[in-house]
Amino acid sequence: MEINGENGAILLECRGVSKSYAGPLVLDKVDFSIRKGEVHSLVGENGAGKSTLIKVITGVTNRDSGEIVFDGTPIPIEHSRKASQDLGIAVIYQELSLIPGMTVAQNIFLTKEPLLGHTRLIDVRKMNKMAQALIDKYQFPLKAAEPIDRISIAQRQLVEILKALSSNASLMIMDEPTSSLTKTEVEMLFSIIHTLKAEGISVLYISHRMEEVYALSDRVTVLRDGKLVSVLEKEQISPAEIIRLMIGHKLEETALHHHLVSKNGKVVLDVEGLTSVGKFADITFQLHEGEVLGIGGLVGSGRTELVRALYGIDSFDAGLVKYLGRPFVPSVRRSIELGIGFIPEERRLQGILATQSITRNIGIANLDKLAPIGVVNGKTERQYSEKGIRLLNVKPPNPEHLAGNLSGGNQQKVVLAKWLVRDLKLIFIDEPTVGIDIGAKEEIYEHIKKLAGQGVSVILVSSDLPELTRLSDRVLVLRKGKIFHEFKECVLTGEMILRVASGIVEEAYEN
Amino acid sequence: MSSHAVRRIILLGLMVVIVIMITLVNPVFLSTGNIMKLFQEASQTGIVAVGFTLVMITGGIDMSIGAVIAVTSMVCVNFLSYTHLPVWVFVPISLLVGVLTGLFNGWFITRFRLPEFIVTLASKSILTGTALVIAVKDSMGFVQNVYIQNEAYLWFGGQSFGLVYRATFAFLILGVATQLFMKMTRSGTNIFASGANPQAASLSGINTSKTVIGVYMFSGLCASIAAVFISSRMMTAMHELGIGSEMDVIAAVVLGGTSFSGGFGDIWGTMLGAFFMALIKNVILKMGISPWVQPIVIGGIIVITVIVDVSQKKLADKLATKAKLRKLTAESGQAAA
Repeated sequence: MEINGENGAILLECRGVSKSYAGPLVLDKVDFSIRKGEVHSLVGENGAGKSTLIKVITGVTNRDSGEIVFDGTPIPIEHSRKASQDLGIAVIYQELSLIPGMTVAQNIFLTKEPLLGHTRLIDVRKMNKMAQALIDKYQFPLKAAEPIDRISIAQRQLVEILKALSSNASLMIMDEPTSSLTKTEVEMLFSIIHTLKAEGISVLYISHRMEEVYALSDRVTVLRDGKLVSVLEKEQISPAEIIRLMIGHKLEETALHHHLVSKNGKVVLDVEGLTSVGKFADITFQLHEGEVLGIGGLVGSGRTELVRALYGIDSFDAGLVKYLGRPFVPSVRRSIELGIGFIPEERRLQGILATQSITRNIGIANLDKLAPIGVVNGKTERQYSEKGIRLLNVKPPNPEHLAGNLSGGNQQKVVLAKWLVRDLKLIFIDEPTVGIDIGAKEEIYEHIKKLAGQGVSVILVSSDLPELTRLSDRVLVLRKGKIFHEFKECVLTGEMILRVASGIVEEAYEN
Repeated sequence: MSSHAVRRIILLGLMVVIVIMITLVNPVFLSTGNIMKLFQEASQTGIVAVGFTLVMITGGIDMSIGAVIAVTSMVCVNFLSYTHLPVWVFVPISLLVGVLTGLFNGWFITRFRLPEFIVTLASKSILTGTALVIAVKDSMGFVQNVYIQNEAYLWFGGQSFGLVYRATFAFLILGVATQLFMKMTRSGTNIFASGANPQAASLSGINTSKTVIGVYMFSGLCASIAAVFISSRMMTAMHELGIGSEMDVIAAVVLGGTSFSGGFGDIWGTMLGAFFMALIKNVILKMGISPWVQPIVIGGIIVITVIVDVSQKKLADKLATKAKLRKLTAESGQAAA
């Protein structure tokens, strides 16, 4: 068998795998295979079906139909995480899957600890020796007896890899393994992946960073909207080609013709050198009256953290914020008082009170008006609610309807309504249309545009590229916590954002 | 040195200071009799606290332990009053009260994913009522305080060598054995893992439900064991014996450094915590302060300990962030130069 996996034996084979979560197909008859000892990358935009495919393979969720064969063993539809692990499929998580408070050795050998003779006592000495031997074999910068809490995230990943190796994994799945690693750590991970490959272990690599995919992969599978688009062999792989395949025709249809026009009104928000260690660094920009400023970037690039800090939910470590020309120390309370709104990323978790009526949901953000002395004025609350429902066309238009029973789109409208019934000057909107149907999406877009037309400034964070290009007057692209590029007064496509965000273009787009 | 070790030394130091001060005020404190009684007090709380520590390590809480003590001693008293069974037969049977309560708690918590606090609070209520129902009554139907005269049963409350209470021996043996079990066996490791990161634990092949059920059964067993020592020592048993004592136990465990959020803790700390609590109570007594103050002091100790825990963590985070920031500015400074 050839080491590089070319024409090598098949380790994992998926045929016609489909999956839907109550509604549209997330995976649509996907064929997918991994050869023994190859590094195989899986790429696609957010929502393309990558994570669902991984979940199906690892037994986290069950597929609806299709066949999966792993190393000659057919995997039944009723599959479990444990069963897939026993077969030799390991997932290298970034964190959280190790036990804090335990040592490196304890984590590697959890449930497989060597015992003292015929007793049931753990032979700690032997366990540490075995762990150290494993560490030395791969020359990892680890110490067997070191507690997990004291080592870096990169080192924790290595512990995960050792844990998988000690249980004879033949497939290692790495999902965005480099998103919190430094450059040297990434290089180390790459050399480890090469070692694994040389041992005949297959690696399924998932990353948004095209240069990594390009550097590592023997083959690349591209998914789009739950369908298999293409499988690229080593010689066919190029970052530009992958991105073209990932985005497909969508860019021609929707995103190509949006021309960014700068609005140079009064400066509403002036941010200088904003830094929060480990989240974002040195963020400087100005936001004008009635401007929609898009913030793009990969998940984990610091987008959400930035708007949370600006709104006053989380604190930051350095930098200056001016709001309407005056120095401003963000705090949620002050933000609300000064006419700043916030629509959070997780609608169900952070946006609505599911067990409360629409009226209560809208009222809760307006208690300063509704209950100036502490007692809620029910009549005014109701008026606010009716106004919000009318304004946003919430269905059903029943103020007593429980927010949790509304559709996703209508829930988001309620979240928006909370703020629209007030006098806003600035609003932060984070991923407004995730999991929302097309009709409601368009309505929400109309409202965002209308807000901007009324002079409200909007900061829009989104992974949905057409959404970002369509709505924004200007787009900042974040990468690893820093503003990597600013798009203004140019024709912008989703592809351009993605190229910059995933780092295959350094400074190619001059305005 | 870890912040954990520092805490423990501070606690020990505090105990030494308290001992010196109380001895200066009331020299009777250092008499052998009083010291032995103090150890015995610590042991009664401590035996329960050993089981409770394991529950807290899994991230749970067991509010039923006080009521387990009540029911166990009621069962013992019933055996003593109405049967002639030997002690070695009925005491093990009585210990089943705790084991079965633990099974009930653990099963409901894991099977239906109910909050530990609610389930164990419900069993506390059930057991509190049960203790009253099964209590020995006189001919008029009034609850009777039974005076225990069975020599064999009273052995548990006695002293060995006329000095050390048997409860203290039991506590030391139980504590050391449990500590070794936690550190040296796979089952012990599984308990830590289930508390620190349940998801990772089950992915590693640990049956976390079984682990949790086992831990609650052990906690109940410990409470039942304590019940035998307490009722024997008091030579009587009332239906409300032990009810409310969970606060002492929580205070001992928390003082010992076991984390409320699970995954961290050890028995050494709990043993130290139990001695500290006994010392405080003894001091209150020896200073001639009303024993009614005790619950106030215990509540205060719990709050203060938790505050110290949380602020210690926050402080550590803050220092780490500051160090990072300094490093970053240094780096960018270099880059600029």
